[in-house]
Amino acid sequence: MRLPVVVRISVLGLAAMGVYTYYANSIPQIQLKPPQQLSLESGKVTNEQLVKAGEGIFHGKGTCEVCHRIGQPGSRAPDLAGVGARAAKRKTGLSGKAYIMEALLDPGAYVVEGFPNIMPKADKPPIGLNRSEVWAITAFLESLGGTVDVTLDDIPKTAGSGGAGGGSAQVVELKLPGDAQAGQAVFMGKGGCFACHKVGPAGTGTVGPDLSQIAKIQTPEYIMGKVLDPAAMGTVAGFPPHVMPQTFGQTLTAKEYVDLVSFLLTLKGGSAAPTTQGKK
Amino acid sequence: MVTREKDARFGFFLFFFLGAVVLALFPVAPTLAQEAGKEVAYRAFPLLGSKLAVWVIAQIHLNFAAFILGVPVFSVIIEIVGWRTKDPKYDWLAHEFVKLIISAFSITALLGGLLLFILVGFYPKLWSYMSGIFFPTFWMYGILFFLETFTVYLWYYGWEWLSGPKKWIHVSLGVLSNLFGTAILFVANAWVTFMVSPKGIDEAGNLQSLWQAIDNPTWMPINVHRLLANVVFGGIIAAAYAAYRFLSATTEEERARYDWMGYMGNFVAISAFLVLPFAGYYLGREIYAFNQTMGITMMGGFLSWLWIIQAILIGILFICSNYYLWLGMERIPGSERYRRYIPYLLMVLAFGFMVWATPRSMVVTLAESRAMGGTYHPILGFLGVMSAKNTAVNILILTTFLSFLLYRRANRLSTKSWAGTGMTVQWATFGIAASIVIFFGVYGYFVDSIVRIGFSVYQVLAVLGTIVLVMAIDIPMFRGAKSTGTIRWGKIAPRSQYVLILLAVTFTWLMGLMGFARAAIRQYWHIFGVMQDTSPEAGAPALGYAANVISGVTIVFWLLVMFIFWLASLGDRGKARAHEHAAPVVAGGVGDPE
Repeated sequence: MRLPVVVRISVLGLAAMGVYTYYANSIPQIQLKPPQQLSLESGKVTNEQLVKAGEGIFHGKGTCEVCHRIGQPGSRAPDLAGVGARAAKRKTGLSGKAYIMEALLDPGAYVVEGFPNIMPKADKPPIGLNRSEVWAITAFLESLGGTVDVTLDDIPKTAGSGGAGGGSAQVVELKLPGDAQAGQAVFMGKGGCFACHKVGPAGTGTVGPDLSQIAKIQTPEYIMGKVLDPAAMGTVAGFPPHVMPQTFGQTLTAKEYVDLVSFLLTLKGGSAAPTTQGKK
Repeated sequence: MVTREKDARFGFFLFFFLGAVVLALFPVAPTLAQEAGKEVAYRAFPLLGSKLAVWVIAQIHLNFAAFILGVPVFSVIIEIVGWRTKDPKYDWLAHEFVKLIISAFSITALLGGLLLFILVGFYPKLWSYMSGIFFPTFWMYGILFFLETFTVYLWYYGWEWLSGPKKWIHVSLGVLSNLFGTAILFVANAWVTFMVSPKGIDEAGNLQSLWQAIDNPTWMPINVHRLLANVVFGGIIAAAYAAYRFLSATTEEERARYDWMGYMGNFVAISAFLVLPFAGYYLGREIYAFNQTMGITMMGGFLSWLWIIQAILIGILFICSNYYLWLGMERIPGSERYRRYIPYLLMVLAFGFMVWATPRSMVVTLAESRAMGGTYHPILGFLGVMSAKNTAVNILILTTFLSFLLYRRANRLSTKSWAGTGMTVQWATFGIAASIVIFFGVYGYFVDSIVRIGFSVYQVLAVLGTIVLVMAIDIPMFRGAKSTGTIRWGKIAPRSQYVLILLAVTFTWLMGLMGFARAAIRQYWHIFGVMQDTSPEAGAPALGYAANVISGVTIVFWLLVMFIFWLASLGDRGKARAHEHAAPVVAGGVGDPE
């Protein structure tokens, strides 16, 4: 018995797609995730830690390795082996660390002979290193044949101020006067939030959405409103309505409330546990 | 019969419209009602997640859009050929092609509407920003879509009405529909390419110049690339339809008709496909010029394995296209003299395929890695770099063009006195082009990457120049040629039709893969460097996951296409012969389809 034409061509199509899909699943599986933000603003870090952090940025978020090699000439951009020693001699009047910072923040100011002017500003999007990260990578580059003497104060205050993409297109950071650490205590204690919500490794609740990345996916206004008047802010699809208490406005003090919101605004994923689709 | 066709179309329209509305409202409605009045950056699409929902709907919409915009490009050319040569079979063919897209128009629009709902509902902040930049173009898009739909419907339904002395009006409608269609494509491309390579805004993301936002660095390359790709896609889907009709045919006459239609669809697809890699180079160059990091991430970063998969798919496309031509030669009397070349052509194709599909770094165990002295194979590793791959693809294009040339002249003997000289020049041109391609391929190993990138331009120019020069000689050389026999349409091996189906499925899968590549080069940005994706789904998934999604999308797309094919075939059942636009007899009666 001959199979109908539709069946025959369907089998052929499915077989072809099966082969393509199988092959694509057999090769190295690399996912691309947004890089983590490094914060060293407290300044309490050793040179070794700084260099190590800078090396991580060189290979990761900084995407430097895409064009630069260390000890391998012939790439798109200068070989950085020995740049720590070489930097001080590049431009008259510029110290080694000043030259490296200029190369990172305004790469077009001096272009090494024989190479095209293709380097993007490291503190601007899409790379968007923050001030701490510029500090760390400067230290790492200094360590390549030179002495690490860069301090946080050497890094211009404006470095990384463009943030991750600036302006009207971005979610604006809101600074609250609260204490995030005290807020965490409220979350785990008086507020009892952990009973229903998970936050990274803390909390086991699944009654409400996982809040590990709440600061990334919701606005501060929404978070503040949700704590005070959850019913008015709606319920996340997939979760039961009217479960969250309406009483936090009465039971929490003003300080506890601000601390709690400050804590929630620090939840941007990071090393937190995998999140669910839900949000609050 | 016409009433039945209309009823079916109306039912189809209603079914999908209601389905789209329900699907769109189901997940959004409760959240929207509760969140009214608040600024929300993201909402979560139930079960699938918003990212996957947008991906699936956008890709299916894109496939249909490519189909309905691609088919009119070559249909109007075929209609003009029929009009000028007064050969009714071309007119029938153009009508047959356009019939396919008429049924696909409503579903394309509905999928577009669904995509809009999902973007507005699940990515409100992104949508708000994009509409702030491009709002004036939304009006333009709406008006163009109306004009396009109106013109195409008038073109199709006015086929008989505007025949005879009024044919020029009908052809003008076809041309006009293409102009509107191309304009729609260009407007939509402005939005998509702005997300990849934004321009016309200040550092804070505020609009400075709408025109610059539209004319961003990747806009024109994508316009060219998509225009060509749409023709390829339209041609190959039409060929797949013809293959389905061929395999289902009950009469010799019908088989001959759809054999010819399949050949024409494939001819259109492959002709545009040969030029497509060059448009790809143009796009790649502009991406590098816009942002080196993006370019290098695309070709050498986490997406590098994607190009190996692409190479395999394109290799399959090349080999299948050639195989179809070789099978087709069996129905051409006089082609015997060229069959001895086929094994050599196959060898070149197979070798080119193997080189192109060789990865630079291998998936190996630690022991294997030690034995090789690293992740690069000591010999094959040299074939994994761009020098080898550029050489391979250019040789593949030259070989496919040679296959087509042999097919074209299979039943013809030139009567021109200068034919010998002409052939010598043609072969010499092929030889010189191959030498240039191989020379720069080998030389590329001895220079820095920045120099090597420029070599691909010489390779491309050599191949393009060959295609132009050889055809410029071939056309006059075989004008008025002596025929060795008529093409026996319908006498092709049935496996050739499965080759057409395989080509169509592979093209669809490749479109899905390229769609993923275009989105993934933005990495974790909605708008590269301007608006970061801060949702939990930010980033790009691994290729295995992407492949699963692409296969799912391809299956859904083809299920819908098969439904449309079935719909299109309704009109031919029963009283088809009595239809005003009766099918011509082509069996043995078509000697020169080009």
